[in-house]
Amino acid sequence: MPSSASASVSVSASASASSTTTTTSGAHSDLLTRLTSSEFEVQLKALRELKNRIIGNRTKKLSFIKLGLVPPVAAILASKAQAQVQAQAQAQAQARHDSNLLVQSAAALGSFACGFDAGVRAVLDAGVFPNLFLLLSHPDDKVVDAGARSLRMIYQSKLAPKCDFLQEKNMEFLLSLLNSENENVTGLGASIIIHSCESTAEQKALCHAGVVKKLISLLKGSLSQRDNSLESLATVMKNNVEAVSEFVGSESGRALSSVIGLTKDRYPRTRLLASMCLIVIRNTSACYLQDIGIKTKLVHLLLELHDDPGQVGDEAPFAFSSLISEKPDLQKLAFEANAIDKLYNHLQKSQLHPKRFQGILLALADLCSNLESCRSRFLSLQALNLVSDALTHDSSDVRTAACMCLRCVSRSIKNLCAGNFLNEMIVPPLVRLLDDPSTSVQVAAISVIGNIAVDFTMRRSLFVQCGGVKQLVQLSKSMDSTVRLNALWALRNLMFLADNVCKEGIFMEFTASSLASVICDPEPFVQEQALALIRNLVDGCIKSVELVFTEDGMILDAVRRQLQNASTDEIWIQGMYVLSNVASGTEFHKEAVMHQLIPQEDNGTQSFILKFLQSNESQLRTAAVWAIVNLTFPSSPGSFSRLVKLHSAGIVSQIKSMVNDPCPDVKLRVRTALGQFTTFGDCST
Amino acid sequence: MSLFWIVVHQLAEIEAMAASKKVITREDWEKKLKDVKIKKEDMNKLVMNFLVTEGYVDAAEKFRKESGTEPDIDLATITDRMAVKKAVQCGNVEDAIEKVNDLNPEILDTNPQLFFHLQQQRLIELIRNGKVEEALEFAQEELAPRGEENQSFLEELERTVALLAFEDVSNCPVGELLDISQRLKTASEVNAAILTSQSHEKDPKLPSLLKMLIWAQNQLDEKAAYPRINDLSTAMLEDPTV
Repeated sequence: MPSSASASVSVSASASASSTTTTTSGAHSDLLTRLTSSEFEVQLKALRELKNRIIGNRTKKLSFIKLGLVPPVAAILASKAQAQVQAQAQAQAQARHDSNLLVQSAAALGSFACGFDAGVRAVLDAGVFPNLFLLLSHPDDKVVDAGARSLRMIYQSKLAPKCDFLQEKNMEFLLSLLNSENENVTGLGASIIIHSCESTAEQKALCHAGVVKKLISLLKGSLSQRDNSLESLATVMKNNVEAVSEFVGSESGRALSSVIGLTKDRYPRTRLLASMCLIVIRNTSACYLQDIGIKTKLVHLLLELHDDPGQVGDEAPFAFSSLISEKPDLQKLAFEANAIDKLYNHLQKSQLHPKRFQGILLALADLCSNLESCRSRFLSLQALNLVSDALTHDSSDVRTAACMCLRCVSRSIKNLCAGNFLNEMIVPPLVRLLDDPSTSVQVAAISVIGNIAVDFTMRRSLFVQCGGVKQLVQLSKSMDSTVRLNALWALRNLMFLADNVCKEGIFMEFTASSLASVICDPEPFVQEQALALIRNLVDGCIKSVELVFTEDGMILDAVRRQLQNASTDEIWIQGMYVLSNVASGTEFHKEAVMHQLIPQEDNGTQSFILKFLQSNESQLRTAAVWAIVNLTFPSSPGSFSRLVKLHSAGIVSQIKSMVNDPCPDVKLRVRTALGQFTTFGDCST
Repeated sequence: MSLFWIVVHQLAEIEAMAASKKVITREDWEKKLKDVKIKKEDMNKLVMNFLVTEGYVDAAEKFRKESGTEPDIDLATITDRMAVKKAVQCGNVEDAIEKVNDLNPEILDTNPQLFFHLQQQRLIELIRNGKVEEALEFAQEELAPRGEENQSFLEELERTVALLAFEDVSNCPVGELLDISQRLKTASEVNAAILTSQSHEKDPKLPSLLKMLIWAQNQLDEKAAYPRINDLSTAMLEDPTV
């Protein structure tokens, strides 16, 4: 019997959409008429009814917004708020009526805006925002409360207008809010800070106006004032050394101690906000909160807060990430506190809220970003299965986070060597993400592929079979330079120590002319990746070197153009390695490189290789000397004539002057070159 | 809270003295207790906290007048809170929801679980009153969308609707939903949420103090025989059994 009952529920769940519209549209015209009625009682009753129908009910909010009920509510509030300003001395009964209408309409508008961006937009579009501020100076406390609450709801959304604190009147207004006796009004002040304070200039202005001091005093207030104050303090101090030192020095350190004390509060939300405040202080000023005791405490506290079933648990992984991100010492502490296992256990739960899912994946990514111990623990738990499931999640944020997590785990050389990533479970969904509608997912997916492409087993063919190369080549021509950069970087890694079949496959897909054009991309960092890709292409066997000579050697010409015209060491290094690799080929290849280094028509300009040999960048010197070593390899028949040309271009004497180069790498290759020169006798001097 | 630490401190002293299980006579015990000073105002505050949290508004008002102890909350809000609680306890859930929304519209807007439980209670009341059609319509209109937003709500909703499937609800696996205890559970959930929204602790402090007393006695039992309080309601010291 119960099974048939549950079946009927699922039917009703799907039927709900249609039944909602029929009933509400009937109620709507009625509600709309009553909201615009001239009779006070009718209007008030309609407002209350509307309010009680939408509170807690997102579906209703949305359908009422669509039916246009926000503007009439806004109109009631506007007319009564302005009436209040115009005629202070109203009859008492009238004033009471107006107050009731204001309270109900403000509450309804606040509920439309509560946790619901579509609602915030509708309320803002109704132009009622300035009128809500008028309510804050209303003589009736209930109206003030209702106005402040509704404004707070709006300020919790990203859509709320920013308040410019650099304007004096705004700052004065903010201070008046924070100094209010009314808890809802001080709470509104805090919400405005949290929402609007972004730039350092704004943070400083708030400090100078005494806001930090005021917020510290609110730490001693009620529960909600304490929470608001913690969150605002974190906003004002973030990346602002000045504000942090003001706070830490306040009340001879007692303010800081009280925040530390609040990490032991009985309310999880307060514990979370206190720890976020401490993390901001730590991350902003490296000189505070560095002792192992507090670090360990924060790690344990945040891990424990993951257990909270509500919003606190959803936000805990993000706070945890900000604590450990780019800090190997904290990552180690977290590892020792069993963080990987704990996060993995949360990840296993079904029906994770997307935000929590995203947060846990990002926290795992941060944990695995540096320490091999974390990565091995992660892999030994078979956590990879869960992450690969997340690659197909509905939420793009979760998909991106899953990629970030994979990227950090796949930094493990040991596991790359074992071919643990290029498999059926991971590669096909990743390749599908290359087609994702969201650019951030695409970029994140490419960057994972870049890592796992450096696979030393022969599994790259799987990637090619899935159509991955085709996709990456497409993406390397994207309009978005970040996408181009990452796609080229992934192809470069795929090319790394690949067999000739694989290299040829990528080359054919790409074509010589497209390769030549990405080498000359408008963005220098894209140029660098393109050259590095060619460098890996021509590394190794003669057959792959042949590839750059197709289509009249247009690739090699593009490389020379970059070596002559570009202006960054990184580009020169990659370009020089291309030439050096090509010079390791046949006589024909070596001559072609000579042609690039020392053009026939001598127009008096200095060869770029001389400039590189004299560079301050040791890697560039290494690459340049290496090319010379390959060109003068004694057993090659043409080496002697090349040596003569190099000599007359002044390159040989330059190399001789480098015999005691400060960089051991350069020195070693210089000595190899000099050794080769001497086998041809003294003609080189 | 200070009372608790005084007890713990004393326990530590006793523990230091006694290597084996020590016997403390009633006389010694009472002498020691005499040295513990408790401020009258602290006692009054604990009583007031109890009255306020439990919602005894008239008693709190009288106690304020007689003892001069100021409550940490506006007493008028207690009346409103109690009205909500009472409405749920009587099964007038719709009325309770409207009262909560008048008190503070944020409570139900930001607390989906509580909102669901109230709506669920409303459904239970409809079923209890045999309004099958209305119950089904309400479940579709109000509850089904919440179930779509949250898996655990859907499961609870299914359990509740299952009530309709049984002829004899008093004897079915989900019959407990119709129990009066379900109303009380929902009522206390609303009560706690209102208190939290008023920045007030949702539990009175007195019970936790008594819990600590029992815990401390249990700890001490391992070390010493002493006049124990066994009946909390009389707080009688009972002679140690030697």
